[in-house]
Amino acid sequence: MNNNNINPLKNTSSEQTNPIHFSAQGIMKKFGGIDALNDVNFELRRGEVMGLVGDNGAGKSTLMKAISGAQLCDSGAFFIDGEEVKINSPHDASRKGIQIVYQDLALCENLDVTANLFLGNEIRYLDNLKIIPRALRPLNHLSMEEQTKAALRKLKVHTITSMRTKIGFLSGGQRQSIAIARATKSDSTIVLLDEPTAALGVSQTKEVLQLVKRLRETNHAVVLISHNLNNIFEVCDRITVMRQGENIGVFDTKDTTPDQVVSSITRGE
Amino acid sequence: MLKNMQEKIGYLRETQLGSFIPVLLALIAIWVYFGIVEPVFLSPRNFYFLFMQSAVVGTLAVGVTLVLLMGDIDLSIATVAGVCAAIVAVLSTKMGVSAPIACLAGLGAGALLGGIMGTIIAYFRVPSFVVTLAGLLGFQGLMMKILGIHGAINVRDPFIRGLTTTTLPDSIGLILAAIGIIIFGLAIWNNRRARNAKNLDNDLLYVSIIKFIFFSTLVLTATLILNAYRGVPLTIIILLSITGFLGWLTTSTSYGRAMFAVGGNLESARRVGISIEYMRISAFALVGFMAAVGGIIGASRYASVSFNAFAGGPLLLEAIGAAVIGGTSLFGGRGSVWNAILGALVIGSLGNGLDLAGARAADKLMFSGAILLIAVTLDAVTRGAASRK
Ligand SMILES: Nc1ncnc2c1ncn2[C@@H]1O[C@H](COP(=O)(O)OP(=O)(O)OP(=O)(O)O)[C@@H](O)[C@H]1O
Ligand SMILES: [Mg+2]
Repeated sequence: MNNNNINPLKNTSSEQTNPIHFSAQGIMKKFGGIDALNDVNFELRRGEVMGLVGDNGAGKSTLMKAISGAQLCDSGAFFIDGEEVKINSPHDASRKGIQIVYQDLALCENLDVTANLFLGNEIRYLDNLKIIPRALRPLNHLSMEEQTKAALRKLKVHTITSMRTKIGFLSGGQRQSIAIARATKSDSTIVLLDEPTAALGVSQTKEVLQLVKRLRETNHAVVLISHNLNNIFEVCDRITVMRQGENIGVFDTKDTTPDQVVSSITRGE
Repeated sequence: MLKNMQEKIGYLRETQLGSFIPVLLALIAIWVYFGIVEPVFLSPRNFYFLFMQSAVVGTLAVGVTLVLLMGDIDLSIATVAGVCAAIVAVLSTKMGVSAPIACLAGLGAGALLGGIMGTIIAYFRVPSFVVTLAGLLGFQGLMMKILGIHGAINVRDPFIRGLTTTTLPDSIGLILAAIGIIIFGLAIWNNRRARNAKNLDNDLLYVSIIKFIFFSTLVLTATLILNAYRGVPLTIIILLSITGFLGWLTTSTSYGRAMFAVGGNLESARRVGISIEYMRISAFALVGFMAAVGGIIGASRYASVSFNAFAGGPLLLEAIGAAVIGGTSLFGGRGSVWNAILGALVIGSLGNGLDLAGARAADKLMFSGAILLIAVTLDAVTRGAASRK
């Protein structure tokens, strides 16, 4: 697509100007006797898509859960723009601008697009009237719907026409778009995508990859987990390889071939 | 082919009007049928009694809808209603407490019992089915204890009796109906204008108009029929007001959103920071409160509180049946408190019509069973329609 002329530009600019936005250092996590994460270092820049690859059980999802506060790690530290931050809950993470899109999406199929986008974070009337409990303040339906439309437009998702459609009636790709829109609608700077294309067909995968590229254009730091190296090579600027809970190395996409990455994944070279 | 149809029915049920129409058609069919077979059925007097008979079931059905939305169930509603009614009766007739205060105590007791069950469900992760089943048994015992050896207490207090014997003067009934219709119309109109102004997609104009005509005809006809007998009963106004509040709560607040989210995808609700514990406890407390309301209406209507009226009878199944017939899913995440009232009217009309036609108790039970079975099957068939895509 049009990434041919955007990609090289973005790549060089991110290398030259964008400093490291987020880093995780010395992350350890044990499950019983298994080292799910063993002294992992990991870093992200804004305006850059970082691929995260590795075999099943390599620890990719565990690392994402640690960064998003969904599952605490045993030891290690996180830094945003050089400053250490504590991430002890999903709430902490989202306050620091970190959003995760789960492998299993976590959308409510019985609610419509707007309701899902704002779930747990609704826009309400009377929000400065502290006597009324928050849960009882009336919802501002129209404002939420308007912002939902805007959020999807910003991501150039045009296939969802009515914001009042229940999620259950949307395709896998459309659901993925909504999950991503939810992650990026607030002032997030870091978006973690755990296998967003795993269950999708060819054209829907393409849609989602377009979305990922758009997140780079909006200056997010993006992590993309996938087992499909074609997809990884299509959109990522750099690739981190994990193996048995360790970070094996980081590759620059343009100086690397898929074969090198494969042998790194399987043999740790 | 079958799948395709399931999907279509499922899609229809997801829309606001679509969830309303099946139960309304069922109601109209029942009315037409009995109207032909037993012309007395359609008399104003019979309609009046039909509404009053359905009031207790309707109240409980509206209440239980709240936990059904969250994918839970409350099997103890009828007995909680009985316990609360017994408390009100004992306080007001034997202990000399003034009736309004006795009623408040009953309502508080209902919320408390519900809240306790909700707490156990929330914190000890015991399925609501089991906890409320234990409640059903335990509260039957509690009710026997409160009622004493005779198993029944007569209620003659004018305040409590007045809750179901008072009717509004014709003119007031009409004025209230008119206000309701105007508010409904303005709400539709305003919503359309606001959506247009913000460039959001709107319902087709004729759909809005049909909705309005439909609503006004319904309200106006009901008022005129009731006026032709004794007038609009106070009970109906109380029930509609509470249902209006709960309808608003479930569809237009963060609290209601959270209910649907918990019923639709528990894990997702947890991840966005909704407190499942808080939701469960408060929802079961609300159901307990509604059960108490139902209990008080029952005590007022029968002028007595007896074990059999609440615990022994089919009240529980009728209430849950009414909610499900109204289109609320037993699997959680779909439903509406308004439909529960229509469901209660379906069950009430069926019972009333069969009574008039001289059917025996056995036939009535079998008919009710068949209707419930149809409703539950429809629920199960359309449940997966959306997610199967
Ligand atoms: N909650 C848990 N309890 C016990 N072990 C766990 C838990 N979560 C993950 N693990 C283990 O930790 C290791 C890393 O798992 P993780 O899910 O991070 O792998 P992954 O790289 O995401 O794999 P996949 O590509 O299959 O998604 C695995 O050995 C897994 O079995
Ligand atoms: Mg994983």
